[in-house]
Amino acid sequence: MTLLTEATDVFAAAEQSGHCLVAFIAKRQPLASGVFGREEAHRLKDILQTLQAEGWLMSVRAMFDRPDGSVEAFDTGFAHDADMVGAFEAPSLSAGLAGTIRLERAGWARRFVTEWLLGPREFSTVQGRGERIDHTWGFLALWEWNDAWAAATKAERRAYDEECDIAFNGDLGLGINIAGRHRLDWASRWHHAGLWEAPSLDAVDLAMQGHEAAADFKFTTSRHYVGRLRPLQDFIELDSERG
Amino acid sequence: MSECVWIHYARPRPHWYGLDDAARSVHEARWRAVAERSVLAGGSRVGRYHVRGQQDFETVEIWTFPSAETAFEHWAALTAAAYGELNAFANNIGLAVEGSP
Repeated sequence: MTLLTEATDVFAAAEQSGHCLVAFIAKRQPLASGVFGREEAHRLKDILQTLQAEGWLMSVRAMFDRPDGSVEAFDTGFAHDADMVGAFEAPSLSAGLAGTIRLERAGWARRFVTEWLLGPREFSTVQGRGERIDHTWGFLALWEWNDAWAAATKAERRAYDEECDIAFNGDLGLGINIAGRHRLDWASRWHHAGLWEAPSLDAVDLAMQGHEAAADFKFTTSRHYVGRLRPLQDFIELDSERG
Repeated sequence: MSECVWIHYARPRPHWYGLDDAARSVHEARWRAVAERSVLAGGSRVGRYHVRGQQDFETVEIWTFPSAETAFEHWAALTAAAYGELNAFANNIGLAVEGSP
């Protein structure tokens, strides 16, 4: 696959896995009685298990390690107008696109209003430095290369990538795990998605300061989400059962 | 594999207007060649329409492709030919609805 930009010191081009990110930004809908009941909740649980059996990765964590079967998302409602964001990885683009429709039809569309973001993996995962710690926070960055990037020369872009690498190295030093990079531009207004696991909200904030210092945002327009790790099932459960 | 619709919104980036006609023609010829190869790969171009009056973008172009992968290949070829560097864009992909009236 042709990369949208070149690999850097921090990021290596992913092997040709053909895997497709299936990220979601979702808001729970207030539902009238009978619209989403136990039957829909069970069907949704079944389809999530079926997708996993078909080779899907069901969390950001699973992109780093062998999947343990957990289906997880990030709870973003405290800071955003979305209740949760999260990401799966499907075996192919076709499987990813069809999978969103299978999920929607199984009841997801009743429970959530969702922006799906699909696209192939470009860069491999990068593990943060230090002790392996329990990462309970997640971060989703969506960005597009802006007009200034588009008008820049190759040498200017390379210098920019090298400067951003300093910031990415800083992220790793904060213990942040970076799930590589996925390309979204074929089916979105966004060009890329970046997903992180972070030890704390402070770490994400410090990391952002590092990216500002490296002038990351002079060439990009971005949208960022932060959230706390939580089982996806918590968001699917009926309102009456939800803690 | 299932048929996909691919919807592409675009407008020229500011530095496009700084190119002379000859330079623009070179780019447009490359993008036309990409489109011709995509047709040979099974894509079908429904058309390109002017929507500036009701949109952030200038045009919308609609294609159908045999699969999500062929839609991606079309776009990857365009971006490799500097299309995205000279045009701001937003894209959508969708599967045909089975049994739709």
